[in-house]
Parts: sequence; C-alpha cells; structure tokens
Amino acid sequence: MSFDPDIVAAFVDGELDDLTFRRVEREAAGDAALAAEIARLRALRTQLTAHYAPVAEEAVPERLSALLVMDDKVDTSLNGRRAARRSRLEPMHWGALAASLVLGLTIGLQPWAPTADVTSENGVLVASGPLADALDTRLASNQPADAAVRIGLSFRDNAGRYCRSFESGAIDGIGCRAGGGWQLERTRRGQARGDYRQAASGELAAMAADMMAGEPLDADAERAARDGGWAARQAQ
Amino acid sequence: MRFEEELVALLPRLRRFARGLTRHASDADDLCQAAIERALKSRDQWQQGTRLDSWMYRITRNLWIDERRAAGRRGPHQSIDGDVVQIAGDGIAEVEAGALCGDVDGAMARLPDEQREVVMLVLVEGYAYREAADILEVPIGTVTSRLARGRETLIHHLGEAA
Repeated sequence: MSFDPDIVAAFVDGELDDLTFRRVEREAAGDAALAAEIARLRALRTQLTAHYAPVAEEAVPERLSALLVMDDKVDTSLNGRRAARRSRLEPMHWGALAASLVLGLTIGLQPWAPTADVTSENGVLVASGPLADALDTRLASNQPADAAVRIGLSFRDNAGRYCRSFESGAIDGIGCRAGGGWQLERTRRGQARGDYRQAASGELAAMAADMMAGEPLDADAERAARDGGWAARQAQ
Repeated sequence: MRFEEELVALLPRLRRFARGLTRHASDADDLCQAAIERALKSRDQWQQGTRLDSWMYRITRNLWIDERRAAGRRGPHQSIDGDVVQIAGDGIAEVEAGALCGDVDGAMARLPDEQREVVMLVLVEGYAYREAADILEVPIGTVTSRLARGRETLIHHLGEAA
C-alpha cells in the first residue's frame, strides 16, 4: 500500500483536497491492499453511523424540550409541563368553573345571541357557534392576528382523539373531538388580554401537555387532521 | 431563527452525541439537560453568526469531562489518554479480539473518553477534523491521532468483518 495510513483515513473522512483524493482513488483501483483498507475504514464508519442513527430519530424527551419553550408562543406546550406538575389543578375546580361559564354565557352575557360558544349536551360541555367553527377549521399556523378565537396546540390524547387548545375573549380551554363535535375537556375564564395572556397561555399549554399522548401536531399534521375531519384513530 | 428554536432543532443530534459519550440513555439525557441549562445561562457568550451546534457540542463535552473527573475522584480512576484501553465496568474480562463482533456499545465502552469523543464527532456526527478540533479545543493533529487509535481499537473489537 503506497499511502500513509493518515492519508487513507483522511480519504475515507472526506478530508483530502481534490487532487490527492483522485490520486488515492486511482491508486485504489489497482491496489487490492489499499482498496481493502479503504473498505475496512468505511465499514466502521457505516456501522457506527447506523448504530447511533436511531437515537437521533427518537422523540426528544419532554424534560429536555421543556427547557427551551418560548414564553411568547402559544403553540409550544412544553413550558407548562413542569408548571403543571408543580401546581396541578383539581378537576373539580375546573368543572365548577366551566359550569359557571356556561351559565354566564347562556344566561348572563349575551342572551340575545343566537349561539353561545359553549353549550351543555347531556351534562357534557361542548363548543358551539364561532368556537366550534374555529376548532373545526382554523389552523394554528395560519390564523389572523385579531382572531376572536385563537387556536393553540393540536394533539392527540391517550384515547387517540384529536384535541385542540384555544383562547378567546370569554373562555380558554381544550376541546376534544367526539361525536362530531368538540367536548370541552378543560375550560377556564378567558385571559386574552394584556399581561395575563402569556401566563394564561403557559397554563393552558401545561393542561394540554398533561393530556397529550406524544408530541403536539406540527403544521402539516394539523392540516392533515383537519382535512380528515378530525377523525379519531386508535391510540398507539 | 431564535436561540431556543435553534437549540430545539439541535436536540436530536445532541442526544445522539451524548449517548455516544455516556453510553447510557438516561445519563445522556441528564447530560443534555445540564448542557441546555448551561447554554441558556451562558447564552450571552454565544456570538450570533457563529455556529451554535459547535458551541453546544463543546458545552456538552466539557460538562461530560467535568462529570467524569468528578466521578474519577469519587471512585476508581480511568485512564486519561494514551493507548491504554479503558475498561468501564461492564463485563470486561472476557473481551478478546472480535469477541464484541457487532456490539458497538461494548466496543465504544472500551475506548478512552478522549478517543470516544473524537470518534463520535467525526465518524458519527460527521464533523470535519478542523471542526472537531475546535469543539474539543485541541490541535488538529491530536484529533487525527486519537481518531486513528480509536478506529483501530474499534475495528479490533468489532472484528475485521465489521
């Protein structure tokens, strides 16, 4: 073999200038020992790359991504995951609040309005009116800045249902697709104003994170889910 | 792109690098977590326009070295450099040439840290020698010599038919 081992290694590692690279290549064509050495080094590279590649394909654990959530973005849930663990809210509390919201919306605030954003069907809170429309059709990646209802995260819950978090003037919460409508699994008084907005988004994201199976949908997956009518799929 | 977004995009690769360094999934994620926290704290030291990935890899690697040194003070000492093959605590004695055929984890475990990190950076992460040298803050000749030794050890343990 006519080349220094370092040159052969550099050849395999793509570290040679064009001229030297071609010289090695030419030489290897007629030098079995050199060709074998190149093959040996390449095989190691291939084996190592293949061995570690699956790690980079794994979903990043939330404890890592949670550290990097941006506070001013609604569609990043992970910030709240830790907060949620610190101050998990009792389901009863939310249920009571939700009930009072329904009363407020249906009785107190706009009795003349043809549809409220929330109704109760057989004791289950469901979205209606503009809220239902927004949950049905709006994509988080493409919504007007002044939208009355802002979509946050879309994701699947453990039952395989699609769920979406939303914020609006009167009510924030999470709706999950069931029976052709959106059951409101979490609701809270709307905080869509000023300084409270960010904190509220974080809490909402934390609630979403608690319900989520896997990661939130990205823009493409969200669009595909909408175009598919939010049909539930078996949970993985 | 924002700092955090770039870091998020880096995480899959960084986890792979950390897995190679630590050789255990949970240790790797602990290391990544420490590196992210360090990066967020030191973000002022990262200069916009320079490569965030190199900076992040350097942080990760330095934290790992610190961790290893601390562990070394606590327990049996491992080799620091040179040709001594490190034995890192898993089923060591039976190892002979080719005995680890196909067992990349086992073979990597037998590299000294300073060879393993070069192998990871160049052969797995695909960094150029120069970039690896910058990340490790060593001369380029150190990278190539450690890489050569690491390669031979790996091929030895994995068997020639690797």
